[in-house]
Amino acid sequence: MTMTTDVRQALTARGLTKVYGQGDAAVHALRGVEVGFATGAFTAIMGPSGSGKSTLMHCLAGLDTVSAGEIHVGDVEITKLNDKQLTLLRRERIGFVFQAFNLLPTLTAEQNIRLPLEIAGRQADQVLFDRVIETVGLRERLGHRPTQLSGGQQQRVAVARALISKPQVIFADEPTGNLDSRSGAEVLSFLRRSVRELGQTIVMVTHDPVAASYADRVIFLRDGLLVTELHQPTAQTVLDTLLKLEA
Amino acid sequence: MFKTTLAGLLAHKLRLLLTSLAITLGVGFIAGTFVLTDTIDAGFAQKFTADAQKISVAVLPNGDDADRRQEPILTTGDLAKVRGVKGVADAQGIVQGTAPLIGKNGKVAGSRATSGISILKGTLNRTAITEGAAPAAATEAVLDKDTAKTRQFTVGDTITVLDSKQVKHQFTLVGLFDVGVNQQLSFTGAVGFTTDTALRMTGAKGFREIDVRGGDGVSPEDLRASVAAALGSGYTVKTGTQLADDLASANNMDTEFIRMGLLLFGLIAMLVAALVIYNTFNILVAQRAREMALLRCIGATKKQIFGSILLESVVVGVLSSVLGLLIGLGLGAAALAVLGAVDAPIPTGTGVSLSSRTIVVGLLIGIIVTVAAALLPARAATRVAPIAALRSQVEESTFRAGVLRTVFGALFLLAGTGVTVLGVAQDPGQDALLIVMAGGCVFFLGVLIVAPMIVKPLGAFVGWLPRRLFGVPGKLAVDNSRRNPKRAATTTVALTIGVTLMSLISVITTTTRATVSEQLNEQFPVDYMIGTQQRDSTIPRAVAGELRSRPEFGSVITVRETEARIKGQSVNIGAFTVDPLFKVTPVKGSMKDFGPGTAAVTSWTAKELGVTVGDTVKAAGRDYRVVALLSDQSTPVYGVNLTERDFDAAFPRVMDKQILIKVKDGVAADTSRRIVEAVTDPYPTVLVESARETRGAFDEALDMITMIITGLLGLAVLISLLGIANTLSLSVHERTRESALLRALGLTRPQLRRMLSIEALVLGLIGALVGVALGVGFGWAATQTMVDDVIFRAPVLQILGFVALSGVAGVVAALLPARRAAKASIVGSLASS
Repeated sequence: MTMTTDVRQALTARGLTKVYGQGDAAVHALRGVEVGFATGAFTAIMGPSGSGKSTLMHCLAGLDTVSAGEIHVGDVEITKLNDKQLTLLRRERIGFVFQAFNLLPTLTAEQNIRLPLEIAGRQADQVLFDRVIETVGLRERLGHRPTQLSGGQQQRVAVARALISKPQVIFADEPTGNLDSRSGAEVLSFLRRSVRELGQTIVMVTHDPVAASYADRVIFLRDGLLVTELHQPTAQTVLDTLLKLEA
Repeated sequence: MFKTTLAGLLAHKLRLLLTSLAITLGVGFIAGTFVLTDTIDAGFAQKFTADAQKISVAVLPNGDDADRRQEPILTTGDLAKVRGVKGVADAQGIVQGTAPLIGKNGKVAGSRATSGISILKGTLNRTAITEGAAPAAATEAVLDKDTAKTRQFTVGDTITVLDSKQVKHQFTLVGLFDVGVNQQLSFTGAVGFTTDTALRMTGAKGFREIDVRGGDGVSPEDLRASVAAALGSGYTVKTGTQLADDLASANNMDTEFIRMGLLLFGLIAMLVAALVIYNTFNILVAQRAREMALLRCIGATKKQIFGSILLESVVVGVLSSVLGLLIGLGLGAAALAVLGAVDAPIPTGTGVSLSSRTIVVGLLIGIIVTVAAALLPARAATRVAPIAALRSQVEESTFRAGVLRTVFGALFLLAGTGVTVLGVAQDPGQDALLIVMAGGCVFFLGVLIVAPMIVKPLGAFVGWLPRRLFGVPGKLAVDNSRRNPKRAATTTVALTIGVTLMSLISVITTTTRATVSEQLNEQFPVDYMIGTQQRDSTIPRAVAGELRSRPEFGSVITVRETEARIKGQSVNIGAFTVDPLFKVTPVKGSMKDFGPGTAAVTSWTAKELGVTVGDTVKAAGRDYRVVALLSDQSTPVYGVNLTERDFDAAFPRVMDKQILIKVKDGVAADTSRRIVEAVTDPYPTVLVESARETRGAFDEALDMITMIITGLLGLAVLISLLGIANTLSLSVHERTRESALLRALGLTRPQLRRMLSIEALVLGLIGALVGVALGVGFGWAATQTMVDDVIFRAPVLQILGFVALSGVAGVVAALLPARRAAKASIVGSLASS
């Protein structure tokens, strides 16, 4: 994989604009966002409801189209790709962890983890697989189906699935939104460990200051614009910033 | 509640349409059947009423029509009596018999002798002359226009007709006529003469009917009374109106037969439609569990939920039945147009009639089937707990084979098998067939019960290849097809019904064909069959004698038989031709001892007479010792077989009915044909058919029947495909987020579409496999009940064709749902709950 001049940036967006609807009914979800995400960093995106944080993530991940602006995943400008190319890009370079409904109910945990590789027709790196499974602590649960797993276990399977294909970026959309605080903490620590130990780049959307405090950096959105950011955040500093934004 | 239901229905117009279509097609077919037959009935009534206006009173002989040998007739004396009645302006007798027309090749025309009829003079004539004039002299005749066309006669030609003593007579063709709706005349073709000539030509001893026209001012009712009084008892005297009514209702009986046959297929289609509706509502209820729970939360009672689902089914039922009626009207009109175009002997001129019965029956069947099919799903809806509204994820329905299902399924399957085995073990006949059919129905119920249990292993079996061939989409598709066994079972059973019946029919026809031709070939590989046109006419013995003298023919076997009274019973007796090529294996005894003074008896006749090998039978005053019992299926074999010499001595006047010829090897086909024709040419009523022609005609008839039945069953298959499409599109809807997840993980649009197509393929194949297994199995059982030594043949290619077609059809059914699934936006689908 060849890299661009700035090796530190796994993902960049320039002048990112997203408009839904037309004329009077037009809603400006993003109004020219400029942002970069460093390789091997854990970044959280925060903001009040309607600030455009989910839209930003969908656009960055190539799930949604943009109205204007550019997005680069590594050296690829994804805003120029068609649906087929985007699909292949997601397959090769992007991992996902959603809030809910991350797993196919017909497949076992292991089959779910291996699914992205199977779709891409690639062989799993057995060493990586074992390491991921050890880290997630799911060895005994591999043969179980999603309905036989707890919510926290399901999310951990989802994270393992995202990790297994060694993507350039993992996008996590409210990964702890449906979990109790203990399971949530488990999943978040696991995400942080995968950044530290596997050098994974993670972008997470959340509205929970505690979840955001696990990240290396938090960026804040309001009304479709990037307004501020925090480095090495704590739950308290995140909460203070949010309160300031809402005011 | 009413408003909520309607709003829900309107919000899903496409789903409504797909669901309705199943019922619409079924109702359409049923309504179409009624429209078609009603219109035909109306046409007959109109035609007969028009005819009846021409006659005031009709006289018919009393008597049993069933006894064909002695048809009751009216004499010239009767006619004279009628003519003498006061108030009668005109009275004429109608003659109908046989008068074989000789074709341009010098042989009698057609395989059936043409009918000879009288054309009445004046206003009493009911025959429509379409060209030229009615015959006025003894040397003039008219021909029905279809026969004239096929035999290439035109007005002004001279035609030759045989009289009842096979003497040729020549007539000038003065006109052509239309046989109208007379089925018999349309089938045989007809020559029309003046009444006197008709009597002479057909050899009829009198009239079938005497038509009377009353003088001015004489009411038909009064005339009827006075004619009846003049004739005395033994006659049926009707007014013209009564006659028209009777004729019309007799024809209605015929259309009733067609109606019942077609309705049977309509009912099969409705059964399949009911399964489709049941499945659709089941899925809808499962999908809307949260919606129902929400309604329950805000205060809707169980009763209201039940009512709302039922109301939805009523709306669907009414809508689709009304649409079905319209389609039925179209179908009926189209069928009439086709029948009119091929000039079928039915009235097609009248407008299409939509009776109130058609409307009532169509609507009732449509609505009742829809509502009944929705009853169980509606009950299931009431079991949704209000708390379900708060659960985030729809639970995956898991299926476990209950004890009850296992026990009942096994019971039905065992009972079905048992009854079928019982039927097969019985002596061949209608009873045995009925038992097998009953066994088949019970077994099918068993299959219906265990279907959810066998769908999973069958899915694994059918999915083996796609799983390996199509990568991830293939694997996911096979898993999905086995995901909800109950749903998959109902979807596929709908298809199974159609495929079962189709393969059943093809197995039966193929086996029949093989058995019949094998019997012919094995016992006597015939090259030519010589026969006659009419049932009662025979071939002079000289023909067989001459054929036997020719060195080109290996064997010449005659069919020479009559009825004789043996032990007070009427028994079929005939002359058995001993020939090396004609192999008959006795069931008991030996044909070696067969010679003068002996008889060979079929086992059935032996049982009837209570005789066996060694006993004697007495026929026509002589005793014959029974030396062998023969199989009932051998042909040509009679109940009691004598040597030719013994038979001719006992029944010197019996001629040959048929002659079967086997040509010696090495004799060219045209040489043998020429000789056969040379020998038979002096006898115009004797017809020659080559075995290939006979078999071709038989094959054609069988093919035709198979095609018609398969076509009619196609409707049921079409409806079941709608079911697959419906199930799949509802499943796609259910799995919106799943599909979005797969797309996010890198499944391309074509891969997603392929996944759904493969799922449909697997469902289609499961349905087809079960259907083929049942069809072939019970086809085999059914053929075992036809005759003793059946040669069973499964039409492998045809059956593989059914399986392949079902698979392809499944894929086609998946096209639209798959397109919709692939087009959905990922972000939007992920967000929807």
